[in-house]
Amino acid sequence: MRLVIAKCSVDYVGRLTAHLPAAVRLLMVKADGSVSIHADDRAYKPLNWMSPPCRIEEAPGVWRVVNKAGEELRITLEEIFHDTSHELGLDPGLVKDGVEAHLQELLAAAPHTLGEGFTLVRREYPTAIGPVDLLCRDGAGATVAIEVKRRGEIDGVEQLTRYLDLLGRDPLLAPVSGVLAAQEIKPQARVLAQDRGIRCVVLDYNTLRGIKRDDLTLF
Amino acid sequence: MKFRVERDALADAVAWTAKSLPTRPSVPVLAGVLMRVSDGQLTVSGFDYEVSSQVTIGVQADSDGAALVSGRLLAEITKALPAKPAEIAAVGTHLELVCGSARFTLPTMPVEDYPTLPSMPEMAGVIDASTFAHAAAQVAIAAGRDDTIPMLTGVRMELDGTTLSLLATDRYRAAVREISWRPKDDGVNLQALVPARTLAETAKTLGPLGGDVLVALSRGGVGEGMIGFTGGSRRTTSRLLDPDFPKIRSLFPDQHNARATLSVAALTEVVKRVALVADRTTPVRLSFAEGEVVIEAGGSEDARASEAMEGEFTGEPLTVAFNPGYLLDGLSVLDAPTVFISFTTAMKPAVISPAAENGEPIPGYRYLIMPMRVGN
Repeated sequence: MRLVIAKCSVDYVGRLTAHLPAAVRLLMVKADGSVSIHADDRAYKPLNWMSPPCRIEEAPGVWRVVNKAGEELRITLEEIFHDTSHELGLDPGLVKDGVEAHLQELLAAAPHTLGEGFTLVRREYPTAIGPVDLLCRDGAGATVAIEVKRRGEIDGVEQLTRYLDLLGRDPLLAPVSGVLAAQEIKPQARVLAQDRGIRCVVLDYNTLRGIKRDDLTLF
Repeated sequence: MKFRVERDALADAVAWTAKSLPTRPSVPVLAGVLMRVSDGQLTVSGFDYEVSSQVTIGVQADSDGAALVSGRLLAEITKALPAKPAEIAAVGTHLELVCGSARFTLPTMPVEDYPTLPSMPEMAGVIDASTFAHAAAQVAIAAGRDDTIPMLTGVRMELDGTTLSLLATDRYRAAVREISWRPKDDGVNLQALVPARTLAETAKTLGPLGGDVLVALSRGGVGEGMIGFTGGSRRTTSRLLDPDFPKIRSLFPDQHNARATLSVAALTEVVKRVALVADRTTPVRLSFAEGEVVIEAGGSEDARASEAMEGEFTGEPLTVAFNPGYLLDGLSVLDAPTVFISFTTAMKPAVISPAAENGEPIPGYRYLIMPMRVGN
């Protein structure tokens, strides 16, 4: 990550043209080659930028950042105040707020939310391709694998299908049915799930947490 | 398959069937409508494994047979056809449609891949079509729309002797409608939870046809877990929801301490006007006093509105706040000149019920609405 603070003007020549008159700005050159120009405001949106893949041609007083399509970001530097580079290393990625894990925990404590007479076998039931979020038994004692998601999308259904396929081979568990439990289930995911005989359950996080809605209800 | 048919009859039949087709079919054939000709009758069917619909119309048939074509496309085409008889023929893997000088060729899908439509459950009784349509609209409006609590997206039908009750709630309001019908067996006692949207749409399309609607519902045997409606030459079946349903009749208070008698049209107009400054979740406040009600909305910082209207009121003066949308929903389906709003206290559910011009109550329908909390 290279940080440069400089008085510069910027011209963008591509599908459309843009010009930033000379002013002091922060230039960020990232490891993937992308360049962004920031003013001293806003949290994330640069004034102008070039997404990777692109290359920088540095000449004294002028940088040319060109991408594959031939679009060009031309930065004319009048005065450089600061220029440092830092090695940031590999980023672990954004960790979401743990709602999914919490939902899993709450459902483990209240498996009847998923269906009448459901009892928990265990959380994170191990399979050869990774753990199933929840393994339960329904009222009749049949095995049910549950995939817990914040948003139920196609990939969640695919994931559960793989687990069901694998669990179904275990004579002690088979037949195994599936439940996709999510706060919100996308229509495409619902269609796919129903087509594969997977039941969809929409979860109310607040109710599970025992947080009463503020509004009055009849019951 | 080859036949001639009146354009309007065809367009109606296809439009009605195509309406219940899935938007995202899991199998492509489910996006189709099946047209089958036999004995001079054309049967148009649609099915998505939940809801099936079928309509039969008379045609001039040259040869019998069946064809499966995209329902939406056919519905749009038939709607746009000139007002002339249409001639339809299945030719190889295509359907040829000629109407006046317009000519369409549509690809067909294999008929043998199309699922068999569920058979009708046993007939339970008969109900007047327009009464049914009206009642279904009055109740379905209170049904829940989100899937968090699946049972609330249904309308409960209770068939008890000669009374047919429809009930629905979304936890903020509840509606109950009782109508009389003609059961096949006077000792009938059946309950079913029908998806509200299906019920409302079916009743709405069968209503204008007039005549009677046959209700088919059975316990055990053929068609368990299904309900069927037949009106004229149209029939629909729908899968039922799990029969559990909250006991909402007991939510209606037995008695009331205060009651307002207002003109439905005037109240609707005033609430709509005042609610302009309120967004979907902010309440309108109704302050009742003898001879007058003041309706206001908006906070001290935001836009505000208030309007007073005349109305009869008995009981201690009272201020109550409602979600304007829920209040208007209730008023819109009353279908009466006058409304009674009955209260126990400002924080307890209020009952909205219809009355005649002269203040005579009209029995059969009640709409329960939960008040909202208001600051200070």
